[in-house]
Amino acid sequence: MTMYGPSGVDVGDPSEGSVDPAETPARPPGRTELVPRLLGPIALVVVMAALGFLLSDNVLLTLQEVLALAVFATATNLLLGQAGLVSFGQAVFYGLGAYTVALGWLHWQLPFWATFVMAPLLGALVAVPIGLVALRARRLYFALSTLAFSELAYQLAESRYDFTKGANGVFGAFVPTALTYPRTGYLFVLAVTVASLLLLWKVNHSPFGLVLRAIRENRGRMQALGVNVYLHQLLAFVISGAFCALAGAMFVVYSQSSYPELLDWTTSGGPVFMAVIGGMGTFLGPAVGAFIYQFGHDELVRYVSDWQLVLGVVLLVIVMFWPDGLLGGLGRLARLLRKRRGDR
Amino acid sequence: MSDDVLLSARGLRRTFGTFRAVDGVDLDVRRGSIHSVIGPNGAGKTTLFRLLTGILRPSAGTLHFGGESIGGQPVHVIARRGLVQAFQATNIFPRLSVRDSLRAALISRHGRTRDLLSWSQRSLDTEASTLLETVGLTPLAEEEAQRLSHGDQRALEVALALAMRPRLLLLDEPTAGMSPFESRKMVQLVQRLAQEEQLTVILSEHDMETVFGISDRVSVMHQGQVIADGPAPEVRANSDVMAIYLGSDA
Amino acid sequence: MDLASLVTPLVGALSAASSLFIVAAGLTLVFGALRLINLAHGSFYMYGAFLATTLAAWSAHTGLWIALVASPLLAAGMGVVVEVGVLRRLYAREHLTQLLATFALLLIFADLALRFWGKGVRGVSPPRVVRGNLELAGAPVPLYDLVIIGAAVVVGGGLWLLLSRTTLGWKIRAVVDDPEVLAASGVNVRLLYTGVFALGALLAGLSGVIIAPQQAVEPGMDAQIIVAAFIVAVIGGLGSITGAAVGALIIGIVETMGASWAPSWASTFIYLLMILVLAVRPWGLLGTPER
Repeated sequence: MTMYGPSGVDVGDPSEGSVDPAETPARPPGRTELVPRLLGPIALVVVMAALGFLLSDNVLLTLQEVLALAVFATATNLLLGQAGLVSFGQAVFYGLGAYTVALGWLHWQLPFWATFVMAPLLGALVAVPIGLVALRARRLYFALSTLAFSELAYQLAESRYDFTKGANGVFGAFVPTALTYPRTGYLFVLAVTVASLLLLWKVNHSPFGLVLRAIRENRGRMQALGVNVYLHQLLAFVISGAFCALAGAMFVVYSQSSYPELLDWTTSGGPVFMAVIGGMGTFLGPAVGAFIYQFGHDELVRYVSDWQLVLGVVLLVIVMFWPDGLLGGLGRLARLLRKRRGDR
Repeated sequence: MSDDVLLSARGLRRTFGTFRAVDGVDLDVRRGSIHSVIGPNGAGKTTLFRLLTGILRPSAGTLHFGGESIGGQPVHVIARRGLVQAFQATNIFPRLSVRDSLRAALISRHGRTRDLLSWSQRSLDTEASTLLETVGLTPLAEEEAQRLSHGDQRALEVALALAMRPRLLLLDEPTAGMSPFESRKMVQLVQRLAQEEQLTVILSEHDMETVFGISDRVSVMHQGQVIADGPAPEVRANSDVMAIYLGSDA
Repeated sequence: MDLASLVTPLVGALSAASSLFIVAAGLTLVFGALRLINLAHGSFYMYGAFLATTLAAWSAHTGLWIALVASPLLAAGMGVVVEVGVLRRLYAREHLTQLLATFALLLIFADLALRFWGKGVRGVSPPRVVRGNLELAGAPVPLYDLVIIGAAVVVGGGLWLLLSRTTLGWKIRAVVDDPEVLAASGVNVRLLYTGVFALGALLAGLSGVIIAPQQAVEPGMDAQIIVAAFIVAVIGGLGSITGAAVGALIIGIVETMGASWAPSWASTFIYLLMILVLAVRPWGLLGTPER
């Protein structure tokens, strides 16, 4: 018989960004347990692949963008939800990935396959100095620092006309013809998305992932346990940077262009927004948020010119009343129901 | 130092300006025993504990742990040697489950914090389950740490300390703020640790029933000095000690 | 080099610094008292500027003067609505929540502005009486630059007086340290919070109307100005008005000098400066480290 203290009652703040036990396995899945758990995700992937043959070209193009954003948001959530690091600067890597593909073609005629692979590598590389500096600041100041980096990157892209073509952006045939067809482009982007999400999922569920969450919960305690917090946060920053850059390269398949706005702080705000809508404390939350955000945007833009207004109101409502986001809230509901059933 | 003495202090002193918080303390703690340190508030118990764990450096005196001198060593070195204190309950990982909290501590101890590739961590999970059993938190393994009752959070704290594989565990007022039921659970846990795990335990306490119920030896502190030290029944019978206590305790 | 050739760039730098100061003052004031980063601060600024253009279009002679009063009031009103309706519920929550809420408000206000004022760029000329140049030490100096400098002095002086010489100012400074103790001594802390936030918004609206004659009034100016305000506030020290003044001076000088020597590098340098400050001394030049 155990007693639950007053903190057992949710009062908004403690539940924010809570790690959903339904997402983190209680015990590592044994061989026999793994199969039923994989069924769901595999089915989802199969369905999404099949959709590539069923949906219209327009929708497939939109989905390309959505998938890139899903990876962008999930990679950002490694910092936001897992490590507890609020970054308003992940667009630096996103834009870097896009520009790698575009400028690699423009200046050195590099093939897409080469630049596509280079993008995450460059993202990781650039993340090191940025992380080394930004992570010296705590919490709020870290957020402001990343925001400054984002604006700095935007500035540089806009002003170095000779290299980046400035505000005009870079347009060209850097995406191989095969990928310019909506269906093949979609399937390619889907494949990369699945691979990326699998890797990011692995990071979350590794000892490193748990250490990140523990650092988020109690930095001092982990230091007392001998963990170099700075180093681990830097590692998370580098991994996130790599995948954000990959997302940027994926975006180019859709946009076939690259431009400075991809680097600025409002673009950085996007994945944060998506993670909050979908649920920072869950793995697929950010991806769901990306779907909602982008489809919402694209659909709204068609019928209603006030998409910013609607998105803003949605974000505000979620932030105020539903801090766990969509998946987080559903997860909590499910656990609540499970508990009630268990008590009976 | 005889074979069965794990921790030994001689002439331990700590001053803050002119104030002598700990003033020439001698202490011998035997392996596998439960050794209580008691005394009124301000007697120097907390300072003594901080000297033992390395949070404070001694102003004078010697400190030996397992035959080696630890006076002046940093906290994490002393902790790795096996002298660990269980923290106050507010120092937990609020939103991690009980099991994940232990796993985090174990991962840190095993130095596997940068491990991105491991799929299953069988040995770690077995160790975590064992720790849960030891402190009696198995039914609460998947609960969020912040939702636990105060008593269960203290048990979690003990488990986190145990994850460091200590040879000596320091408990600073382990039953503070607990209901009689929770206190009894904590006391039973401490006894189990000493008997079954052969862990040496030093605890500071105000609850006399606890102290004389489970301690092998008791040291009484007053104004920075140890005024009585010996097997529990002897100290209990010592009338000077009782006078000091009855004089200043409720 | 004679005095005359120094005067124009100097006044230009001071004018730039003054604009930055007036915008940043409200942002840093709100952070100092409420520990809140308001991304929608730029929205209040933008609305102030847009309202000025509307009023100026409506009445060429008196429009701008009316706006001098109307814009701050509009912004203050918006501030009250925002604080009472949204922010008040979020004080107990994490900083990220508050930040996101103000980000959402930024989006909402931006959209509404598009509805009210459309996508186009607007402009407004300074009132007739302060148009043109003045001769100062043999060099031509835009009169309006001096107006802006004067406005910054008034705002700075007013804030200094408020914070250091009045009871209200004392309460504002005290509330960040221990709101409960203050409330226990009879101060209506809720009202105080609303008031400070409204004051910050008012300052933003004021800066909007004052700066409007010197720049393009267009959608996107809200996001633009907020970054500049941040840089100034961070370098000077979030929460410190004096810091904002110092920060504004530094940035104003760098910007103006950079504009003539190496325009693109000037902005880069400014961002690097902000990053450096955040890495080495995050509470800024004149701020106080958070306990």
